[in-house]
Amino acid sequence: MAVVDRGASGQGSSFSEIVNDQRYRSVFYQIVVAVVVMWAGWYLFSNTAHNLEARGMSAGFGFLGSTAGFSIAFSVIPYEAGDSYLWVYLVGITNTLLLAVVAIIFSTLIGFFVGVLRLSKNWLISQLAAWYVEIIRNTPLLLQILFWYLAVFAILPRPKQSIDVFGLGIFELNNRGFYFPAPVLGELFWLTMATLLAAIVVAYGIAVWAKKRQNDTGERFPVFWTAVGIVFGAPLVMFVITGSPLEWDIPALKGFNFRGGGSVPPAFCAVFIALVVYHACYVAEMVRAGILSVSHGQTEASYSLGLKPGLTLRLVIIPQAMRAIVPPLISLWMNVVKNSSLAIAVGYPDLVAVFMQTSLNQSGHAIEIVAMVMLFYMTVSLTISGALNYYNKLVQLKER
Amino acid sequence: MTNLDASASEVTFKPKPSLPPPPNTVGVVGWVRKNLFSSPLNSVLTLLSLYVIWVVVSNTVEWAFINAVWEAESRRECLDKVGLSGACWAGVSHWMKNFIYGRYPDDEIWRVNLAFGTLIVWMAPFWFPRVTGKMAIGASAIIISPFLLGYLFAGGEKGLFLQLMVSVAIASFIFSWAHVLLCLSTGRSLWDTIVNVSGFASKADNVQKYPVIGAFVVLLVAVFAWQSGWQLEGQSTNLWGGLFVTLVISGIGIAVSLPAGIVLALGRRSKMPIIRVFCVAFIELFRSVPLITVLFMAVTMVPLFLPEQINPVKIVQAIIAVCIFSSAYMAETVRGGLQAIPKGQYEAAQALGLNYWKMMTLIVMPQALKLMIPNIVGSFIGLLKDTTLVSIVGLYDLLLMLKAVSLNPQWNGLHTEPLFFGACLFFVLCFIMSKYSQHLERTLGAGQVRK
Repeated sequence: MAVVDRGASGQGSSFSEIVNDQRYRSVFYQIVVAVVVMWAGWYLFSNTAHNLEARGMSAGFGFLGSTAGFSIAFSVIPYEAGDSYLWVYLVGITNTLLLAVVAIIFSTLIGFFVGVLRLSKNWLISQLAAWYVEIIRNTPLLLQILFWYLAVFAILPRPKQSIDVFGLGIFELNNRGFYFPAPVLGELFWLTMATLLAAIVVAYGIAVWAKKRQNDTGERFPVFWTAVGIVFGAPLVMFVITGSPLEWDIPALKGFNFRGGGSVPPAFCAVFIALVVYHACYVAEMVRAGILSVSHGQTEASYSLGLKPGLTLRLVIIPQAMRAIVPPLISLWMNVVKNSSLAIAVGYPDLVAVFMQTSLNQSGHAIEIVAMVMLFYMTVSLTISGALNYYNKLVQLKER
Repeated sequence: MTNLDASASEVTFKPKPSLPPPPNTVGVVGWVRKNLFSSPLNSVLTLLSLYVIWVVVSNTVEWAFINAVWEAESRRECLDKVGLSGACWAGVSHWMKNFIYGRYPDDEIWRVNLAFGTLIVWMAPFWFPRVTGKMAIGASAIIISPFLLGYLFAGGEKGLFLQLMVSVAIASFIFSWAHVLLCLSTGRSLWDTIVNVSGFASKADNVQKYPVIGAFVVLLVAVFAWQSGWQLEGQSTNLWGGLFVTLVISGIGIAVSLPAGIVLALGRRSKMPIIRVFCVAFIELFRSVPLITVLFMAVTMVPLFLPEQINPVKIVQAIIAVCIFSSAYMAETVRGGLQAIPKGQYEAAQALGLNYWKMMTLIVMPQALKLMIPNIVGSFIGLLKDTTLVSIVGLYDLLLMLKAVSLNPQWNGLHTEPLFFGACLFFVLCFIMSKYSQHLERTLGAGQVRK
């Protein structure tokens, strides 16, 4: 009797029954987790508020308008001591993006090259590529950056004894940095750029038309060479017609240093080369795995259909390999952006260096600054992974 | 006629023995032709790479060995002897102790050695085939040993909790090695031996544990009484450094990130929306920002987050950052493994009537982790390399120690040699780890190879 009573009245009210009943169990666990997380959040928040008050610090983003009293050694967009912290943030972002974008381009190109070498039938070449990959990826990136900076770029000669990089007399390397010719745009140069844009649109249109025609009639059209002709030819013609409105500002030694042209500091060179060398070895591994992932039967089938090796590579192997290469490649690009933050170790003024270190030390607004830096990196990551997902949808196997 | 027939049948066709393959397709010559000089382009590439190898190797050997200076008192002496054409290894060997132990006092270095030695001996049973209960030994090595090792490193006053945990650690160590020795000599576990000796063998299964617990408690009391008598001199964490601190940070990172990553990955795949949202937010936040920002966050914000009276030391802040960061990465690695397990495995486990945790620990996780061994070890290697970033927030890990040599007046400007040495050291450590993971993959994956 007593047992029955307890069972009837205790339905759902007894603690152990809530925890063990499948209907309530997941709700119960979620509430517990939510309460714990909210309590932890409140605990951190109240401590922070108390600590800020105790140290006489104010919260909020008002400090962004006030002037930053320090100078920055190198910036893509113009900066002078006395600009606002918001401008410092933008300087940091552009410096980071410059480094990351060129590092992404070069590491991808070199990585593809090494990845193909790794698969070469020539034993020596494939061994050489394999050892490059093994050595580079088993050594910390930060150590490599320091090595390039301290052992290579920091001991370069003075401007007067500059190294002439390609022997052309226009690329110079010395302990102040790397000097290269900078383009000086003439008045009518925009016409060339506009023609280039138009040519790209036309080439794309031709590609779409050619594909449709091949689907309908089976006739092939030399899309690639036509596109090359249009994209390079049309702007060139326009460039010549408008009177070649582009000059190169070539750096020249004046006094103690080079004047004119563009330049990047040694720290940039060191971090750039370290990033490229380091990530190229990962790209190489991805390319190798991607090409190996295409089964040999595909090659054989394509040969038996009568395709030549070149066409087989272009129409059968590479499209399938790209499906395996691109997803990890894009997450590698994210890593390049993130790893460019190591530039701080050699004093290249990237976002982390100018904003998260110097500005934070000067203004003391730790929470806001850390949040803004994280926001930037998260935006970049989300953008890149959004592109990844879009591409993935385009190329993934359509299984029904 | 018959004779002729017989002779005709006797003249059967006998093939001549086949000729040996052409000499230029077998042996060294054949191999070289096939792999190095199969076409004109390949020949050019081979010669080119031979040249590259020659240039790199000869210059390195000349710099690192032939022209190198092994004995000198200062960098000036090295420069006077060979200039920049040879390495100055004297500086590296002068600083070797600092590379390994940081600025830990010389008289106390035995404590660091003892701690690492203890850990190695604690883990050694993993490689003995006849020992049972390896999981328990491994778990004790990961969960309990840090109290003992941490006390050996830091020393100082022992609170009651620390006294207890150090005693538990020592008692567990003695217990597991008693178990190992019994297994190796008699083939029976410590558990069985204690149960037999105490005469509980005939009792019900659920009371057999009491003599074992009793034995452990007796041992614990004895150890507790003994350990309260000694105390080590306190060593500030500022003195920790070098390879020692690199291994401490990455070791704790590895020990924390694997279980934390498993929990986060399960949370991410859970059907409970609130738990899933928290896990996804944590993983995505910390995976999309660089480790440096997490380190800076830990250094600048942890003091703000905690109550005023708690003042965490820098190494603890760095360890928190490394653990958070690597857990997020490990979670994604484990998730990859979980996704590779076919749905039928889950359904089979449920059909057997297993609950969620049993399904995960007995059926799914072992398969998922086995599949993911290369990636998990890859994460560990990444973690070991990433640990060097703590040097940016001013911890004297191996990298900052290597860099610090050049600031010493005696070795002013000596950059290349220490960094070269450090690169070799990291390469050896990481290379061993990756080779070991390939070995594990082969041995554990043996059941999955389809021939």
